[in-house]
Amino acid sequence: MAEMWISMGPQHPMTHGLWTLKIKVDGETVVDTEPDLGYIHRGVEKICEARDFTQITTYCDRLCYASANTWSHSYIYAVEDLLEVEVPERAEYIRLIAVELQRIASHLMWLGAYGPDIGNLSVMVWCLREREMMMDLLQELGGSRMHYNFPRVGGVKRDLPHGFAQRARAKVSLFLNRIQEYEALFDESTIFLIRTQGVGYSKAEEMVNHGVTGPNLRAGGVNYDVRTSHPYSVYSELDWEVPVERPSVKGADCYDRYRIRVEEMRVSAMMVLEALDKIPRGADTYHEPGDPAIIAKAPSRAPEGTSGSHHFEDSRGESMFYLAGGGEARGKNPYRVSIRSPMFITIPYASKCMVGYKVADIPAIMGSFDPCIGETDR
Amino acid sequence: MDGDGQNYSVFNSRMLVDTVGDITDDALKASRIKDVIGVLVGRVFNWSQRKSLFPLHLGIKCCALEMAAAGASRFDAERFGVFFRSSPRQCDVLLVNGPISKKFADPIVRLWEQMPEPKWCIAMGECAISGGPYFQSYNILEGVDTVIPVDVYIPGCPPRPEALIDGFDKLRQKIIRIGASPDDGAPESKNPIIVGDD
Amino acid sequence: MANALSSMDGVNAEVSERTSGTNPRNVVSVDCASENWRQLAECLRVEHGVDYCSMITGIHWPEGGAEKNWEVVYHFMRMGISNPPVVEGMVQPIITDPSTVEGADVPLEIEVRIALPETRDPKVASVQDIWVGADWNEKETWDLVGIDFEGHVGMRRVLQPHETPAGFHPLQKQHKLRYHDFEEMYDDAQGFLRKPSDAGKIK
Repeated sequence: MAEMWISMGPQHPMTHGLWTLKIKVDGETVVDTEPDLGYIHRGVEKICEARDFTQITTYCDRLCYASANTWSHSYIYAVEDLLEVEVPERAEYIRLIAVELQRIASHLMWLGAYGPDIGNLSVMVWCLREREMMMDLLQELGGSRMHYNFPRVGGVKRDLPHGFAQRARAKVSLFLNRIQEYEALFDESTIFLIRTQGVGYSKAEEMVNHGVTGPNLRAGGVNYDVRTSHPYSVYSELDWEVPVERPSVKGADCYDRYRIRVEEMRVSAMMVLEALDKIPRGADTYHEPGDPAIIAKAPSRAPEGTSGSHHFEDSRGESMFYLAGGGEARGKNPYRVSIRSPMFITIPYASKCMVGYKVADIPAIMGSFDPCIGETDR
Repeated sequence: MDGDGQNYSVFNSRMLVDTVGDITDDALKASRIKDVIGVLVGRVFNWSQRKSLFPLHLGIKCCALEMAAAGASRFDAERFGVFFRSSPRQCDVLLVNGPISKKFADPIVRLWEQMPEPKWCIAMGECAISGGPYFQSYNILEGVDTVIPVDVYIPGCPPRPEALIDGFDKLRQKIIRIGASPDDGAPESKNPIIVGDD
Repeated sequence: MANALSSMDGVNAEVSERTSGTNPRNVVSVDCASENWRQLAECLRVEHGVDYCSMITGIHWPEGGAEKNWEVVYHFMRMGISNPPVVEGMVQPIITDPSTVEGADVPLEIEVRIALPETRDPKVASVQDIWVGADWNEKETWDLVGIDFEGHVGMRRVLQPHETPAGFHPLQKQHKLRYHDFEEMYDDAQGFLRKPSDAGKIK
């Protein structure tokens, strides 16, 4: 049978974003793949050289739009490393709550998009219903449904609103019950199990060599989480365990990657509940914006020759910002902002995982790696 | 049958079809029946077009998640007849929900050309309207209306799903005004509508 | 914490103690000359078990003087986790508490900076065959900044369109953010007036 290249072009309902996956097929089997990115390359790194440190936060929200808070916090930690700012502890707790709620929302969006890839359309409306709950909480915190611009250099822009703790506890507890519904829906569905088990094996050593991190790597059995290995924020003060899967020797398949994200949602939900209990001065006290309890004074200029970087556990892996300060010549703008996107590294690897499987397995494999093209094409 | 497979018997000839069509057309025009049929059928077509707008399953950037939320359970867009289709050949509306980069300018024009008439374009979000926060970027076009004619602009970054549904409502009003196809109708029907402008 | 990397010839290595909030964070910062980079990379991989290339950044410093006109910053990490045990056909995850490990198992961040002198085509040795994670990072650095990697197989544009004029690397400081002015439009440095590769074909 002749081999031919098929382009799963930029507009495709299954590709979770705007990119082209060119596949070389021999009949129905995938022989080679070539991803083609750059359709939403916005030149954020160049734009950021003309913006303030606080203005760049709005760009970082829009890098990976499914999990906006994790990216803006990732940037803010790097800025605080550059400017050497100490963040008050209450602000760290508020940031943790925002980040973990966002992680739940991101995984719900993934699950809501993965179900239809496999063919299960009802889970999309279920997951998006839960995501609306999380987005309500995040809207109370940040002011908008999707791009919150929530952290500020040295703290957060606003404290927890009145009554937030009560609503958050109610909604997160309800969500913990609903996770069992999703698991029931998937684990009792033979079609889902056939389509995801035994498909898309990815080995741990290859993943580490390629630079894949996050849930994809933890599904492979490697217990690496930036929150515990290079601890930042107040993760070390909460009582939680990194969810890791136990895959087979052939590697992690799509089912493992699905399971790990469900476990991560559970762990994040428990972390939010615990953080609401442990937050200093209680979750019901309210400080005005600008209060030193929630934001510290920060310099607005970076001296020349300094640099700051920070690893962060994004919903999809390890994201990192590297900022170079430019001194007086640059004023309040950084000299160079460099963004490390986990998906930029994972997508070529995921494309290699597809070789040898059928064309119909491509949405299952690609979806299980959770691509988000916004962060890939910066 | 001759060499290239066309059946040239006189009853299938193209000339016969054209001649009969012209004669019938002149007769209908003379007796004004064509106008009456045009008005009635046009109204039915217009009603059905505006009640079942099929956008394309195109998600460029963040506004695509609000588009998905608009189709989900809280802000159900399907009760308005809006049903997303994957192929541009089956769509009425091109919902552009993100910035257009130089690399994507050609595919989006191609998608627009693949859509059959009548078709409309909705620019959703700041990036599609004017380039948004990336208007100074070296890679982003300043708005999708540099390459495609836009009918409705929905501002917001991202616009709430309620705003998107309102945008579809404005598009429906525009369809009522301009008739069955965008080339008919009064000259002012060519002006695009901006949601929130009243 | 392990800091045995300081003993390498041709490079300056130091351990900088940084903190992230209240948590200690140890980063090994290495300054390397571009001639010794390949040797240092192999040494990192083989002797010290650095198995994960995180990010490659290219920076253009036009006012940095003749010594430091370009800079390539590599970020690596040592995961500290290798050879997970296999029990009954299933890989067991290694649950390690980072505060209890020592020596070569500590997860560590390594930052390598290579300063390049003033030149029109900066070049650094490629490490594509040592860490596969460096592959796309190097393509992106070349695409956006213009630093060439010698020995890199398959260098191509990854983020900008494939038909971008050769030699246009937007993150170099002499390029404006966007070319808008009247006389620059005709030169079309950024390709806004270019026709796509399949113009005129039936679609």
